[in-house]
Amino acid sequence: MGARGLRGATAGLVALAAALVVLVPLLVMARTVWVEGSADLDDILTSPGLGTAVKNTFLLAVAVTVLAVPLGTLLALALRRPDLPGRAFWRVAILLPVLVPDFVLGYSWLRAYGRAGFTDDLLGVHWSGVQGPVGVTVVVMVNAVPLVYLITAVGLAARAEPAMERAARVSGAGALSVLRTITLPLLAPATATAAVLVFVLTLGTFAIPQVMGSPAGFSTITTRIYSNLARSSDPLAFTEAVTLALLLVVIAVLVVAPADSLLGPRLRVTRAATTDPTSLAGNNRASGRWAATGIGCYSLLAVGLPLLALVATAVTQAVGLPPTPENWTVSNFLSVINARNGEALGRSVMLAAVAASVLVLLGGLVAALERGRSGRSVATLVSLTLVLPGSTLALGMLIAYGRWLGGTLAIILLAYIAKLWAIAHRPISGALDRLPPDELHASRVSGASPFTAIRTVVLRPLAPALLAAWLVCFLTALHEVTMSSLLYGPGSETLAVVVLNSAELGQVGATSALAVLITVVLLVPALGFWSVIRRLNRIPVTSSPSPTAPELARVG
Amino acid sequence: MSADILELRGLCVTYGDVAALSEVDLTVAPGEVLALLGPSGSGKSTLLHTVAGFHTPQAGEVLINGRRVSSPTSSVPPERRELAMVFQNYALWPHLSALDTVAYPARRRGQGRTQARAEALKILELLNVGHLAGRHPAELSGGEQQRVGLARALARQASLYLFDEPTAHLDSHVRGVFLAELVTRQRDTGAAAVYAAHDAEETLGLADRVALLAHGRVIQVGTPQQVYREPVDELAARLTGPVSVLRSPGGSARVLVRPEWAALDGELAGRVIEVWFRGPHSDYVLDTDQGQLLVRESGPPRHERGAPVTWRLSHSWALPESEPVTAEPSTSQPPSQTPSSVAVPE
Repeated sequence: MGARGLRGATAGLVALAAALVVLVPLLVMARTVWVEGSADLDDILTSPGLGTAVKNTFLLAVAVTVLAVPLGTLLALALRRPDLPGRAFWRVAILLPVLVPDFVLGYSWLRAYGRAGFTDDLLGVHWSGVQGPVGVTVVVMVNAVPLVYLITAVGLAARAEPAMERAARVSGAGALSVLRTITLPLLAPATATAAVLVFVLTLGTFAIPQVMGSPAGFSTITTRIYSNLARSSDPLAFTEAVTLALLLVVIAVLVVAPADSLLGPRLRVTRAATTDPTSLAGNNRASGRWAATGIGCYSLLAVGLPLLALVATAVTQAVGLPPTPENWTVSNFLSVINARNGEALGRSVMLAAVAASVLVLLGGLVAALERGRSGRSVATLVSLTLVLPGSTLALGMLIAYGRWLGGTLAIILLAYIAKLWAIAHRPISGALDRLPPDELHASRVSGASPFTAIRTVVLRPLAPALLAAWLVCFLTALHEVTMSSLLYGPGSETLAVVVLNSAELGQVGATSALAVLITVVLLVPALGFWSVIRRLNRIPVTSSPSPTAPELARVG
Repeated sequence: MSADILELRGLCVTYGDVAALSEVDLTVAPGEVLALLGPSGSGKSTLLHTVAGFHTPQAGEVLINGRRVSSPTSSVPPERRELAMVFQNYALWPHLSALDTVAYPARRRGQGRTQARAEALKILELLNVGHLAGRHPAELSGGEQQRVGLARALARQASLYLFDEPTAHLDSHVRGVFLAELVTRQRDTGAAAVYAAHDAEETLGLADRVALLAHGRVIQVGTPQQVYREPVDELAARLTGPVSVLRSPGGSARVLVRPEWAALDGELAGRVIEVWFRGPHSDYVLDTDQGQLLVRESGPPRHERGAPVTWRLSHSWALPESEPVTAEPSTSQPPSQTPSSVAVPE
């Protein structure tokens, strides 16, 4: 009876928190447009600038989805082959962009392929389109490919068992025919999920269009919201920003809702992912080498060379000088290592750590409540935040709580919590799903109280998921620039905002040095935690001896 | 030269350092059903998967219809081996209906959708599951899945059928349909089957010949009666059914006795140490001067545990002279049926 009361109270508090960070901001935005914009709404909606931004955003999302989904799926298929040369290395290389903040990636591309960039200095060739819609599309795609790869790789492992493909081979289907008739149809739910996610995330993407598109006059909904807020003296601009932010949600929901009802029942994974490597005969070594070469070229051009160019710019005295040793300098780094940036770094790390800790707690609570009836609606509400673009959330926060919290770290923290709640909730909920219910029962029957049972048999298997959730939230919060750039005030800039502002001021050397620094700051905890999580995951599970050794796949 | 459907010559397959198959020689003649019997991990599945072309042998070769399809240096892809396979868990495709699953092989042969489906429906009806044509695997019971899996294999019109330890026994109707198909196919090109199993009783009833596998080696090949009555060693004996090992009266040689080769009431003395009622028959374990003996008798138990009894031996099989095989619990029989051999001091 007491337990039920406690559970009800917790559910109530969590629901209240979800309402405060998600529902209230959305409602006050709607009210703002309704009350203050009703007179001008026609003018706002028909203004050519708004139309262009909406059209650009939509086309960008479509183009990125169309490009990134096949590419990510192709990578997942290629990296599944156990005989791929350098497979373990490429798996990490493909995921590397996850650790690089998107504005750093965008800026790196400008430094690598733009005018007075790396290839321009060394070879005298530059790609003028890199600054503008095409460049934005390509880099947003590069940024989205790891996500598609992750989702489809998990889908492949969970649904496309080797036996399914073997059955097709003995039924007379060749390798390509198996791909067309068996593997891809089995993978369809995962590909569809990836497509919906990429589309929605691209709708809300801000940093790459801001860094690469804005200088060329390419505006999207998010960049227009940003520039409208910069002209804060103009009330019409503010109302337009709020209208745009709500439009963004409407477009996202219009895409997600039908996709969810179409795919929803099929998206549930029925089987745990297996790690059984496919040893399908018929793959020859030459095709493996081709696949590895392709992956290598892609990684090099999309991530390797841009990051190299970024580092080269950071250590070179002035733009236009070739990045050779006689032009090397540390002055760029020295110029950005100052008290203000140090404070910004401290703020970023602290903010990210606090946000991640609160989020793991909230995510865990929702995951636990979800199992009872009371928590299910909260879980649905939390999952909805995946669809909410950062710009919309930030504006909502500003209108709802700006009066009291405007320009403080607290409002940024609230925004992070609203934005990342679903991201923290997913892995924890997934790990709970995989936990056999009998283990908890067994510990209760063995004499453990509910609390002891959770502490002794639930927490340990859950630890990798909790740590992973913490790490993902921490890294994403450190990356975050969409909401921070709208919400920061004097004395509450995060390091990411400093980098973005520096890029806008055109300080090439300093921006590159800062971008290198923030990436290193991200890599250190990421790699540290990664190794901890991997060690935790190495619980001796029922490991089959070896009858599916990858060596078998070698076929002449 | 060889009229065999399948021929394995000196086949060796290794996983890393572990030898899964070593020096396997086997032939399967047209019309024949060869059963592979062995404990799990003995290499049955590896053998089938190598024949199908999913593994490449490190040594030796596989010939199908006299054509070499596998060797360490060359491999014909599975789809060009003209064989069909029934998988362990049937490997039905979750996104295809039963009808499209069975039509799949015909479609891959280049047949049109309508004709392939019509043929598929005929095969499904042959197996009494025509009414399930529109269902997907998730909507089928285990037995129905097995029939669809077998129907898909039949639709392949292959000359070699491989069964990878079907989780459920083939029921008599399904078995009849399949054997009839083998006979029909034999009239034109000849067809054969290799059936991997771990259940001795089912295998002995189904196969024309049995190959016993242990630790990746073939330890005996013969007709079901041969391998049951004349096992080459104790391990082979235990793979094919319950057995007792006795010291032969007046000698040091060891003999094998099947439960029905001995009977109660006779000239030899013993004492009942265990007794089980098993429905149609009863099993007794006797403690005798020659070792522990399992005796099977029809009807309910006549003696209680501890009762002194007499017994006789109607048949026994002398083990070839070799070092005694350490009795390994095989999965083919419950442990209660395998009294461990007792070393009787001279």
